[in-house]
Amino acid sequence: MDIRIALAGNPNCGKTTLFNDLTGSAQYVGNWPGVTVERKEGRLKGRRDVVIEDLPGIYSLSPYTLEEVVARGYLVKERPDAILNIVDGTNIERNLYLTTQLMELGIPVVVAVNMMDLVQKNGDAISLDKLGQMLGCEVVTMSALKGQGSVEAALRAVKAAQEKKEAALPNVFTGSVERAIAHIEESIAEVVDKRSLRWHAVKLFERDRKEREALDLSPALKERLEAHIAKCEEELDDDAESIITNQRYAYIRRVVERAVRKRAAGHALTASDRIDRVVTNRLLALPIFAAVMAFVYWVSISTVGDWVTGWTNDVLFGEMICGNLRAFMEGAGCAPWLTGLVADGIVGGVGSVIGFVPQMLILFLMLSILEDVGYMARVAFIMDRIFRKFGLSGKSFIPMLISSGCGVPGVMASRTIENDRDRKMTVMTTCFIPCGAKMPIIGLFAGALFGGSGLVATSAYFIGVAAVILSGILLKKTKLFAGDPAPFVMELPAYHVPAAANVLRSTWERGWSFIKRAGTVILASAVILWFLQSFGVVDGALQMVEDNNTSLLAAIGNVVAPLFAPLGFGSWKAAVATFTGLIAKENVVGTFGVLYGFAEVAEDGAEIWSLLAQDFTQLTAYSFMIFNLLCAPCFAAMGAIKREMNSAKWTFTAIGYMCGFAYAASLIVYQLGMLLHGGGFTVGTAAAVLALAALVYLVVRKNRHGRAAGAATSVRAASLE
Amino acid sequence: MPLTMAKAGETVVIRKIMGRDEVRQHLAELGFAVDGKVTVVNQIAGNLILKVKDSRVALDRNMAMRILI
Repeated sequence: MDIRIALAGNPNCGKTTLFNDLTGSAQYVGNWPGVTVERKEGRLKGRRDVVIEDLPGIYSLSPYTLEEVVARGYLVKERPDAILNIVDGTNIERNLYLTTQLMELGIPVVVAVNMMDLVQKNGDAISLDKLGQMLGCEVVTMSALKGQGSVEAALRAVKAAQEKKEAALPNVFTGSVERAIAHIEESIAEVVDKRSLRWHAVKLFERDRKEREALDLSPALKERLEAHIAKCEEELDDDAESIITNQRYAYIRRVVERAVRKRAAGHALTASDRIDRVVTNRLLALPIFAAVMAFVYWVSISTVGDWVTGWTNDVLFGEMICGNLRAFMEGAGCAPWLTGLVADGIVGGVGSVIGFVPQMLILFLMLSILEDVGYMARVAFIMDRIFRKFGLSGKSFIPMLISSGCGVPGVMASRTIENDRDRKMTVMTTCFIPCGAKMPIIGLFAGALFGGSGLVATSAYFIGVAAVILSGILLKKTKLFAGDPAPFVMELPAYHVPAAANVLRSTWERGWSFIKRAGTVILASAVILWFLQSFGVVDGALQMVEDNNTSLLAAIGNVVAPLFAPLGFGSWKAAVATFTGLIAKENVVGTFGVLYGFAEVAEDGAEIWSLLAQDFTQLTAYSFMIFNLLCAPCFAAMGAIKREMNSAKWTFTAIGYMCGFAYAASLIVYQLGMLLHGGGFTVGTAAAVLALAALVYLVVRKNRHGRAAGAATSVRAASLE
Repeated sequence: MPLTMAKAGETVVIRKIMGRDEVRQHLAELGFAVDGKVTVVNQIAGNLILKVKDSRVALDRNMAMRILI
């Protein structure tokens, strides 16, 4: 039998560093059933029979956040053989709060005090013996960052698991509270798992809703428990939950007084506090943020990123791979269709995406550094004031920022938002922000029809942000998202110098999802697209065609095209480009290139500008651009949405909403634009006016559901009194 | 008085935390306990950055109003 050790601890206490250290590269990421928070599982280096489970970072076992629900469910139901509780030595009081709860589960616990080096640097001291004595479990020290003591800590936990040495219950509760809990223990001893009797009793004392539902007690028993609780509440003149919290902290204070010696008397301002004074200053916060972001984009898009991308596209793929490969295949006497498939279809298609990777990686690297330094958490705080006005939380800002690079990691970043409604709304709206892959579309039309005006790109961002704001206001008023926004409560990590390994790992994780699809989905689609547009049915037989207007692709495009006629771009080429855009947005440019007879076009498609100008007017081009910017994102991002929503219904709702919103926006712009250009009032104009009126109504109407929900709460509150 | 009235740089003692829901529980987990000390690091439009136990926590105005000092 494998021995299972669970790593538990507060967020930011060094758990993941420890996990990677213990398991090396033998880890894999799996999803927990029913929820989307990832759990990591790996085997201890050198001990294949020991499974290490990395639980999400939690402050306690009360289910406030998704992470807590997951961790609590795992610890209570699946019961690992031992818990290795990582405690941040520099913040020991708060960290021990979770420890007191873990001890109640009746699972062997080993406490590992992390960041001991920092504790010593601060001139403080923690006595492990006294701490262990008072807590009633083994206490070890380690430094996850330096890799010191981590394996020993894990082996201690293994030993505790083998000996089944359950933690002795520390004397957390006193007086009448302890008596009440003991009474509850007696009453429920027959119905719960004996090993975690104390845990169940404390949860029942707190009137924990999940616990009550799970145990399904008889009415008589419930009444008896309630009597114990009420008596204790009356005696201490406080509610049960606060009583437990206060007693836990009082206990921790006793422990800390004996076991921890602090040099400084606590509340002096640290360097982090002084930095916060400046970067979250009422006047300076936004200018500083704007300057930081401008620098990030200047580096990753305009300067360094642009050089690297240019080199990859022109030199690496253009000359070295594509050119040589074609020459080689022609020289080797390959059939022309095979040369075409490999050089144009595969290398051209995949290369156009890979060419994007360096730019992405630089952007992700910069964002990872900002995150690791601790600045991103402050950004969420600064933006909360603004985002709250249209129904989103400040925490939605980080996903949107990342989405300006790539929607896939952007959608994944929404995971840190605790509130379910806020998270879903962020997932639904974050792809409206133009991602890096949409830039070539903007570049193509700006160059072909608007004389390269920079206003087009600016307006694209403006449209993206407007779509997010309008959607925030509009969705908040629907039944799906009714209710007040969740309160903003967030721990701000201390500023520190970014750790190279950490930054590189998170950059790589984000970049990898981008690269992976180039090798899979885009490779397949490039081949299929090349086949469909190179072959056609001529004289009743399938054969290679010269003129792609007779190709299979044209036939398919013609069927779908009428759908887009009201938006002004009902040609089969535009329809096909829109669909290939679902594979990857940058495919739109490549598709136009292929369809207009150029095997390879520059990123902004300069070769086909004149041809494109014949098929599009400024208005239809703009309408096409809006639709492609706002409609369903690429398959990779849709996959990410599905993973985060974890529900087919929500995935379809999100993607359907995006497509609907995009269609309406394009319709309004094109049809009203036509009217202004003297196109006359048509059925289309009427539809656009209706769509505009509906949109305005949805945004300005009264929030019935918000009020109704509020009223319901006050009714409930009243009936409680 | 509510915590929002405290000035930046001031250290105060929590007297009571209002309300009866999971958010208050979450505040407790983060270290906001009755009789515990809190230092106000910074304040923008009622939103606060606080130092509690040995960590920094950001709170919006509505939450801060519920903490009495």
